[in-house]
Formats: sequence, structure tokens, C-alpha cells
Amino acid sequence: MTGPAVAVEIDSVGLTFGAQTDAPTVALQDVSCRFEPGKVTALIGPSGCGKSTLLQIARGFLEPTQGRLRFVEIASDAETSRPAMATVWQAFNLFPWLTVLENVAFGLDLAGVPRAERDARARKAIAAVDLNGFENRFPRQLSGGMRQRVGIARALVMEPDVLLLDEPFGALDAQTRLVLQEQLSKLVETSGTTAILVTHSIEEAILLADKIVVMTARPGRVCDTIDVTLPRPRSYATTHEPQYRVLFDRIYGLLRDEVMRAMIIESEGA
Amino acid sequence: MSPDPKSRWVWYDDERVLGWGSVAMVIIVWEVAARVSGVSSLYLPRPTQIVVSLIEMFRNGGLIVDLGWTLYRIFAGFGLAVVVGAGLGIWIATSFRVRAIADMFIAMLYPLPKVTLIPLLVIWLGTGGPFMLTISFLGAIFPIVINTVLGVRQCDPGLVLAARDLGASAQQIVRRVLLPSAIPSIFAGIRLGLGVSIILVVAAEMVVGKFGLGARLYLSGQILETEQVFAVLIVLATLGIVVTKTQDFIDKKLGRWRLA
Repeated sequence: MTGPAVAVEIDSVGLTFGAQTDAPTVALQDVSCRFEPGKVTALIGPSGCGKSTLLQIARGFLEPTQGRLRFVEIASDAETSRPAMATVWQAFNLFPWLTVLENVAFGLDLAGVPRAERDARARKAIAAVDLNGFENRFPRQLSGGMRQRVGIARALVMEPDVLLLDEPFGALDAQTRLVLQEQLSKLVETSGTTAILVTHSIEEAILLADKIVVMTARPGRVCDTIDVTLPRPRSYATTHEPQYRVLFDRIYGLLRDEVMRAMIIESEGA
Repeated sequence: MSPDPKSRWVWYDDERVLGWGSVAMVIIVWEVAARVSGVSSLYLPRPTQIVVSLIEMFRNGGLIVDLGWTLYRIFAGFGLAVVVGAGLGIWIATSFRVRAIADMFIAMLYPLPKVTLIPLLVIWLGTGGPFMLTISFLGAIFPIVINTVLGVRQCDPGLVLAARDLGASAQQIVRRVLLPSAIPSIFAGIRLGLGVSIILVVAAEMVVGKFGLGARLYLSGQILETEQVFAVLIVLATLGIVVTKTQDFIDKKLGRWRLA
């Protein structure tokens, strides 16, 4: 983290697609939540609840149709400008014509960081995700798990104040997922960055997050906010703790009804 | 397709042996048939006569000059078409307005056989360098523009988002994401375009040229020098092989651009 501690506030945000048409889609409705600096906040909810949309709004790639986005400096409680952000994508979105090193150095290169410094920083980030020796491979030569580690390195090398994780392990198999969750958990802890994690997985949310925002089916609203106080570092073993079970059951209870509703909405929409 | 792995490998089961071998067979059969049947070399000269004529044409210098002219005309217009075509293609693909305008012109001009433009171009430009440059340019530009547009528009939107996320400006997105991701498609367009350029330049030379392979071909035919007609055809065929194989080689070099 480079700048002062800044919280990201979503203030009564709503988003309606096709507002001028006969069949507008309300993706988000009156969503308020706050992403505290240095903390990991998970957004969890059924498919189509708008959690990825909310992430795009936080990133500034989508404008909300109601409400607004605020960045609040903790020390002064005053509004400030957008902190530096970087995203890890579900589909990895690596540039297939660039090597691992060139992919990780891409953002620094765009910003005009001189080559020597750029390469040194990229190599450090690659080492942090245990990909030493793969610097000159192309993404297609790597497994899914390795590709996403490149994606994580590419985001972390930018030293973002806020790391956006858009279902980062959604495209990976269950075992790779477990290992990468632990790895990411450590990386986020040591970097001290604010993180917003969009996920389908209750397990992933509990293992990684300090706070879990549970969302409803479309239109997405905040259903509940749950603090996770399980001690860190967390790992697979954490899933055996009684407190983990309690949290899991509580979130599952909230989600179950919403997932059923989402299924009905989807079948009606089809 | 490689041969069935279960069948026993034999010496002629090699792409090159089969390819070159069959060409050699055709030439031998041709030579023998022409000798045996005694057909006049005015209609069908023997391969050996053609080779003699080919060497003769190269030796007294004429054919080299013609080849030079033809290559120069092809590549001057083609080179210009690559630069203009790729640039225009990117512009069309990234701007709604330019696309709406260009769509109409491309729809009108692309299916038009470009040889039909020769009379008009001769009226406007005469039969010299500018005419040849224009005809070669017109042959190549449409496939290049169309393939560039396709390539850019097929770019994974996730890559554009990722670049924006990493701080890319609009110009950086074009140069660093859209262009490289469209490279395979642009090359497919260049391949098609060069083929059309060759056809058009040779055809134009046949109609109006005093120099160049097309002109030589036409003049040889006029004076019934059939060996020379075949000799020019061999040069053109060889040019085709060199161009195709060079493009294959470049395509292979660009293999790293291709997605998994």
C-alpha cells in the first residue's frame, strides 16, 4: 500500500440497465456497504445478483444510475480521490502474445517505469507467487492455476491500494483452488492492501475475508453483513474449527433462499 | 494428413517426395508424349525446349528486367496497401462513425472485380507507374482492411478491460492490445491481398504494359513464341511458390501470437 488509508464506500447505489427501454433490468438496488482499508471484504450471493457489477462500479468502469461511490480518507474522514486499484479476473485475461514476465510488467511499462526497475519489480512479484523459472513462458504453456498466479502477480506488482478479486478461482478445479486460496490469503496479509473479493464460494469467503457481505438475488441488495473473526493465518485446517461451521451454516442459511429465488428469476427470464 | 500409423512406412510416404515427385512425373510424361506424338511445338513445346528458351531469355537480360518491373509494381502498391489497410481497418473497427461510413463503400467496392477498373484508371492515370501502383494497391487493400476489422473486433473484451485496469490509455489499448491480438487475422488478409495484387498487376501488364512479365507473356503469345509463353508462366508459378512459402514461414514465426 502506498497512499494513506482510504475506505471505499458504496452509498445507496442502484444500477438499472436499459432504463429507457420497455424492459429495464434492475441489477442493483439501494446497495450500501463499506470496504475498510487493509481489510478483505467478500461479496457473496447467488448468480446474477450483481456482485461483479458492483465490483465494476467500485473500479469506475460502470456508472451507477443511483447513489454514488465515495472514497474516504480514514485519518481526516474527508473525501479523497480514487485510490490505485488493480483487478484479478475470473478468466485470467492474460495477454496471450506476451510472456509471463511481459504480462506482469505490462502495467509498469504503460506507466513508463524504466526497463530495469520494471523487470526487477515484475520478477519479485513472480517470485512471490512461486513462478520463478516460468518468466519466459507464454500463458498457453501454463496450467489454469499457474495462469491465475500470473494474474495475481500482474495486479500486485502495481502495488494497488485496493485489490479487486472478481471470482479469481472460479475457473479452477477444487484442489488448485484450495492451494491458491491459502497463497492469496498470505499475499494479501503481507501486502496490507484493501481487498474486495467477489465469490460464489462460502468457504473461500470465510477463509479469505474479514467481513462478508451477503447479497440477495436480483435485484441485488445487501442481505446481511457478517464479521469473520477467525484467527489468521487461516488454512484448510480452519475449516474444522467449530466457529467456521457456525459461520458457514449461517451464510448458507441466508444464501439458500436467495439461490432458490435466483433460480426462479432465471427460469422466468429465459 | 500423415499416413495411417498402422501401415508400414515406405520411402515415398514423405510430403516432399510425393509433392516434387509428382511434378517430375508430369514433366517426364509430357516430354515423352510430346516427342512420341510429334505434335508441333507451336502448340505444345517440350519441357526441354521450354527450359532452353527460359535460360536464353534470362541470359540476354530481357526476362530479369521484366521480372524486376513486375515485382516492383506489385510490391509498391501492396506495401502501401498493408500500411493504409491495417491503419484504416483499426480505425473502422474502433469507431462507430467510421464503420458506418466505410461499410457502404466496402460493400460497393469489395465485390467489384478490380480488372473492370483498368479502363477507367487508364483514362485517369495513363499506363505508367501511378496506374500500376493504384491497381496493385486496390487489389490488396480490401482483404487487408476487412481482415483487420475482423481481427480487431474479435479481440477478447476481457483483454481490453484488463489493459484499462492496468492504466492503459485509449491509444495504448489500440497499440498494445487490439493490434497484437489482430495480427494473425491481419496476416491472413495480407496473404489474400498479395495474391490479388499479383493477379491484377500481371493482368494490367497484359493489357497495357510494354515491360513486365504480363506484357512479355502477351507479346510472346502474339508472335506464337509458345516456348516463351511457357517460360514466362514458369517464372510466374515460381514467384507464386516463393511468395506462398515465405508467407508460410512468417506465419510459423508468428505462431506465438496464436491462442492456445
